[in-house]
Amino acid sequence: MEVLSIDNLCKSFGDKEVLKGVTLKVPENSIFGFIGKNGAGKTTTMKHILGLMKGDEGEIKVMNEKVVYGQTATNRFIGYLPDVPEFYGFMNAREYLSFCGEITGMEKKNINERSEKLLCAVGLDKEKHRIRGYSRGMKQRLGIAQALLNSPKLLICDEPTSALDPVGRKEILDILMSVRDKTTVLFSTHILADVERICTDIAFLDEGSIKLSGKIADIKGKYRSNEYMIETEDEASRKVLLQKFDKLKEEKGQLESVLLFKETDYDIHTVLAFVAEKKLPVIKIERVEPSLENLFLEVVH
Amino acid sequence: MRTLIAFTKKEYMEQVRSRKLLVLGIIFLILGLMNPLVAKLMPKIMEGMADQLAESGLTVGEIKVTALNSWEQFFKNISTGLIAFVLLESGLFTREYQSGTLVLSLTKGLKRYKVVLAKIFVLLTLWTAFFWMTFIITYVYNDFYWDNSEASHLLFSGICWWLFGAWVISIMVLVSTVSKSGSSVLLGTGGIVFFIYLLGMIPKVEKYLEIKLTEGLKLVNGQSVVSDYVPALIITLIVSDVFFIASIFIFNKKSI
Ligand SMILES: Nc1ncnc2c1ncn2[C@@H]1O[C@H](COP(=O)(O)OP(=O)(O)OP(=O)(O)O)[C@@H](O)[C@H]1O
Ligand SMILES: [Mg+2]
Repeated sequence: MEVLSIDNLCKSFGDKEVLKGVTLKVPENSIFGFIGKNGAGKTTTMKHILGLMKGDEGEIKVMNEKVVYGQTATNRFIGYLPDVPEFYGFMNAREYLSFCGEITGMEKKNINERSEKLLCAVGLDKEKHRIRGYSRGMKQRLGIAQALLNSPKLLICDEPTSALDPVGRKEILDILMSVRDKTTVLFSTHILADVERICTDIAFLDEGSIKLSGKIADIKGKYRSNEYMIETEDEASRKVLLQKFDKLKEEKGQLESVLLFKETDYDIHTVLAFVAEKKLPVIKIERVEPSLENLFLEVVH
Repeated sequence: MRTLIAFTKKEYMEQVRSRKLLVLGIIFLILGLMNPLVAKLMPKIMEGMADQLAESGLTVGEIKVTALNSWEQFFKNISTGLIAFVLLESGLFTREYQSGTLVLSLTKGLKRYKVVLAKIFVLLTLWTAFFWMTFIITYVYNDFYWDNSEASHLLFSGICWWLFGAWVISIMVLVSTVSKSGSSVLLGTGGIVFFIYLLGMIPKVEKYLEIKLTEGLKLVNGQSVVSDYVPALIITLIVSDVFFIASIFIFNKKSI
């Protein structure tokens, strides 16, 4: 089942067409990476899903219910973390979560339990100060906590890791991973390493439409080349390899010690046998996986 | 209902923690104390100046101060209170638009009309509390120094002025739903009140206008009668409600 489906969403600001027919399906229990350049329209798309903006054309459904602009009932399924979350600065984190719980109609006991658990998870449990003095990263952490408070069906995060230090990034990604069995996660990002790490599905948004989307495994399978790479430890063994297999080639922009070859040129087992026989010191031999970065560059150009 | 209460609670918390409640409380307290005090001190001030005035050829007769003088001060000064109130509260809506704090509340399914209702409720309760606080302080001191029975229709004239304030608040709320910044709220509210004030210069329409409600002094000193105020009272009541309801509808369609 799809938690979210967007059909032919169009939006212009004045004469600037930002979304030109975005079509997207987010399956249940996926962690969906929504990738695009700066200004591609990721935030704009998310605002439409939340009914904060009125689309010119197209239809959005959350849990098979149509999203309406303004008074948006489908938001009861959604937890949302905006790109720059803003809270009431005169409250502290606990007070804010309790306010959030009350306006979503949660039980008092439930609010306290969830707040405690989430504040621990995002590392704000010992923070007693008012939100006014929070750093960007702390706000983002609180943002995650408030978005997950009422255990939403769909969690929408707009660049959740952009303001975080490496430790914070890992923690937040771990949280996103851990909610997966109950919550579908849609998050936008520029950081492809994050996507590689946790996403099950991706979509590339470029020039107003989705250029590529689907399960990461499928996409990678489709774009997987029949190339292998072999990295040697020293110059000498590299020479030995090059002598034996003259179709090995160096890749531009890669380390010098890396050599590539096509499956059609040499059988991998022949190469492996040779390496074993000569006891060549290698660092790694692997099938070349298409990196998201390459895919991304390929798609947007 | 619980969500409405939760949002209202948040509004009060903000009033307290941003010290607005304290500042307004002090302003209205001073206003209340000032009315009888100025009236009480008036003869002393005049006496002190009597010598000077005599030199310039003026003689000051005996000045008799009554509760009416204090009420005169009240109706003069309470507008200062209302202006301070509007100045301090003009950003109640726009602060939330500008900082984006409403986005999270609304995307959590908070109904938009509850936002408007909570804010109207807070504004009206604060205005009511502060206005009547000043009124009661003036009343109690007047009773202590003089005799309030000289003043007629005190409660009614108070209600009229209070309603005038509520009307100004309804303009403020309405303008807030279409404005982006606190200063445009001030400008819009001030502009509309000023326009009505100018309209009040025309004798024929004067008795139907909201501004009529500020002339409580004439009631108190017996220059006017209650029935003079009834048309303006009814019209103000209706107009304020219409403004409040219109705010809810406009806010429902607003892009946040
Ligand atoms: N309210 C608005 N009025 C006019 N133009 C807008 C508005 N909101 C967004 N845009 C334009 O729409 C385009 C897409 O913006 P959007 O914020 O959705 O990009 P994004 O993909 O989220 O970028 P980033 O990665 O930088 O966050 C931008 O060119 C922006 O200028
Ligand atoms: Mg963005």
